[in-house]
Amino acid sequence: MSLDLAAVRYRYAGSSSVALGPVDLRVEPGMVVGVAGANESGKTTLCLVAAGMAPGVIGGRIEGSIVVDGVNAATLRPHELAQRCGLLFQRAATQLTHTTATVFEEVAFGPCNLSLAADEVVERVWWALGALGIEALAPREPTRLSGGQGQLVALASVLALRPKYLILDEPTSELDPAGTALVADALVRAARETGAGILLVEHKTDVLARIADEMVVLDRGSVAMRGPVADILGDVRLADLGVEAPAKVRLARDLQAAGADFTAELASALG
Amino acid sequence: MERSPLVPDPGSAASSPGLPRNLGLPEYVTRRPSGFYRTLNPATKLAIAALEVVTVFLVPGWLGPIAVLLVLAVVAAASHTARALAVIGLAASPLVISIMVVNLFILPGAVDPIFRAGPIAPTWSGLWFGLLTSTRLLVFSSAVALAYVTTPVDDLLADMSRRGLGRRGVFVVGAAVQMVPRTIERVGEIMDAQRARGMDTEGRIWRRARAIVPLAAPVVFGALTEVEERTMALEARAFTAPGRQTQLRVPADRSRDRALRWAALLALAGVVVLRLSGRVG
Amino acid sequence: MSAATAARTTAAPTIEFEGVSFAYPDGTQALDGLDLRIEPGETVAIVGQNGSGKSTLVKHLNGLLRPTAGRVLMDGEDVRAVHVARLAARVGLAFQNPDRQLCAGSVKAEIEFGPRNLGIRGAELDERVKAALDAVGLAGEVDTNPYDMGYSRRKLLAIASVLAMLTPILILDEPTTGQDARGVARVGSVVAAAAAAGRTVIAVSHDMRFAAECFGRVVVMRDGSVALDGAPAEVFAEPHWPELRAANLEPPLPAVAGARLGLGSTPTDATLVAALVELAPERG
Repeated sequence: MSLDLAAVRYRYAGSSSVALGPVDLRVEPGMVVGVAGANESGKTTLCLVAAGMAPGVIGGRIEGSIVVDGVNAATLRPHELAQRCGLLFQRAATQLTHTTATVFEEVAFGPCNLSLAADEVVERVWWALGALGIEALAPREPTRLSGGQGQLVALASVLALRPKYLILDEPTSELDPAGTALVADALVRAARETGAGILLVEHKTDVLARIADEMVVLDRGSVAMRGPVADILGDVRLADLGVEAPAKVRLARDLQAAGADFTAELASALG
Repeated sequence: MERSPLVPDPGSAASSPGLPRNLGLPEYVTRRPSGFYRTLNPATKLAIAALEVVTVFLVPGWLGPIAVLLVLAVVAAASHTARALAVIGLAASPLVISIMVVNLFILPGAVDPIFRAGPIAPTWSGLWFGLLTSTRLLVFSSAVALAYVTTPVDDLLADMSRRGLGRRGVFVVGAAVQMVPRTIERVGEIMDAQRARGMDTEGRIWRRARAIVPLAAPVVFGALTEVEERTMALEARAFTAPGRQTQLRVPADRSRDRALRWAALLALAGVVVLRLSGRVG
Repeated sequence: MSAATAARTTAAPTIEFEGVSFAYPDGTQALDGLDLRIEPGETVAIVGQNGSGKSTLVKHLNGLLRPTAGRVLMDGEDVRAVHVARLAARVGLAFQNPDRQLCAGSVKAEIEFGPRNLGIRGAELDERVKAALDAVGLAGEVDTNPYDMGYSRRKLLAIASVLAMLTPILILDEPTTGQDARGVARVGSVVAAAAAAGRTVIAVSHDMRFAAECFGRVVVMRDGSVALDGAPAEVFAEPHWPELRAANLEPPLPAVAGARLGLGSTPTDATLVAALVELAPERG
């Protein structure tokens, strides 16, 4: 049981250059794999490819293989893939249907597409809203939400499909610190309680340090670094790849440079 | 057996720690309208609107428009929509004025001038024809508007879906209906951004005309990039799954709806037949 | 930015919000009796949770929104009395979403749009375009079509396009959203350069680190009014954490570390390191 990308390369339709690849990646159930990298290093493309949108929906050319729980993703139809690999886009506004009157119905849209019994749809919607602590938004109009609220609703809409793998493209980019912490906690809970595997693209390395198990760093489309999250985030090469070290690492380094060793104190103060 | 990830154990949704209990389908989703006309099934309202439109245009002279106008007035008063209809009437006023002016002065073949002042010669027949055309237009738009303002869009969509229109068809209708307010909102935001950069949208006509180009670019490009993202987002939410979408609420379709629909359709057929056979007009 | 261009910026006005309330047509009360005074040349980060009224607040500065109660004054003059197009010469606002703003076929034409509306032409226009592109690091992209650029670069372009208007007041709405470390550093240097030229810089942000490191003053908004207001070291000091948290915000990590180590208020990496280094000889 895992989501596996092997030697994947991808070109967008009409483009001669490789946007992504080669990428090898494995996400196992219950595990959070972080993805970092400078802007335009291929993070969003990786999400689209891993979720089967590229080339499945938007065309382009792909090499290598994507295997979901032993099934080649290329043989799955988009709706079958959607139930296995849930995809959250970076900007919530484009993800919402704009045809529903309430957040409740917006979150219900996916489960309704699966022709589930109404009772189960209702249960799934409450479950997804509850997992993110946003039951109070249920009666609101989806187009009248703030950026952060919209992002949480979009995430709930994906959770309601109960996919085995979640592919999330910067789910906290528009969120305030409390919203960021909420999403991070909800993801950890989703991964632990239900065994979902999560591929998480995130600029905020403090979030990755907290919830990711492993991570990869992308550079111009290919994997530049990979390994356990603590090793990667402590690596000095990170800065050259346009990725900022978490606060803890930065501070320790600055102190070392200033000739003062407060590693122990810092560790206890930030622990 | 393999447990589906993100799914609590069967039956444990209510008891699992940290998960909310099953709260049922909320009132704001099932929301039921009240009042005789509002609670009619969307299809019934469409059938009535169709009858009204056909009557207005096929029954010659003043009979059709006046008959429909009376019906509309009664329904509007009963369903408290008179104000909304008045707004729509106002919105149509530029069109009405231009119809009046054009017919009054240049109705082809009209030879009964009210007065003459050089080349200007309004005619009586132009006046009557303009009035009749304007009235038809207003009654027509009010009939359609009445069905629209008394029917929430998603009731209409839910009913279409129940009657077997595929999910794509339903989505296309829904998106089309929502497109107008969304585009207006987007244009407002873009206009704000350009005004903030010193573009004068309040000055003279030529200035405003020049301002359209910087507004159009983000509207068009934004819409284009959104289409691709939206397509992907719909796929990511299993939109193309086979089978019929689950419906959380279905607008009621009572016996009185069926009776009214049949009556409206029969009346509509009657009007058409009478018109074709030449018995009216 | 060259000294010559900077010198042409007119002096920034004093900004005053007097009991400003604003409700959207749907009834949402976005601002509620807000009072705020910003002196010329200040750098102010406005922080607060999603929906606390930050974006609504800044749209009152260039007249895009008018208060439903209270007044917004610039050098004592009620903003309501000034035409939006004329306010644009004094207040530059880079919107949160660049796609609502970018309208030209090339990066150069995009940046020229604002200054041209202000009547700038010829050599000065070229100079402004160049300075703005250098400031955001897009100098190599003069002829690129903005819609061929990634989101983060489009966002920098939107900032540059407002920068080139050389308005005495510069407002950036969520400028670091979607930016990587280099992008955030770019935005930080834009703020510093504008402040050095005597311009008032106001940024709306969720990014506490950006607020603490790049601004002289932090204003915390909660439910449409000002909850906390002061220098980063004051606002992020431990006694204010309950208020910060009530506004759904978290103090930056160096502030947390400094407080736990008994070092006082250390809102930035640099202040924390300095405080620790000072402590080192005592410990040694």
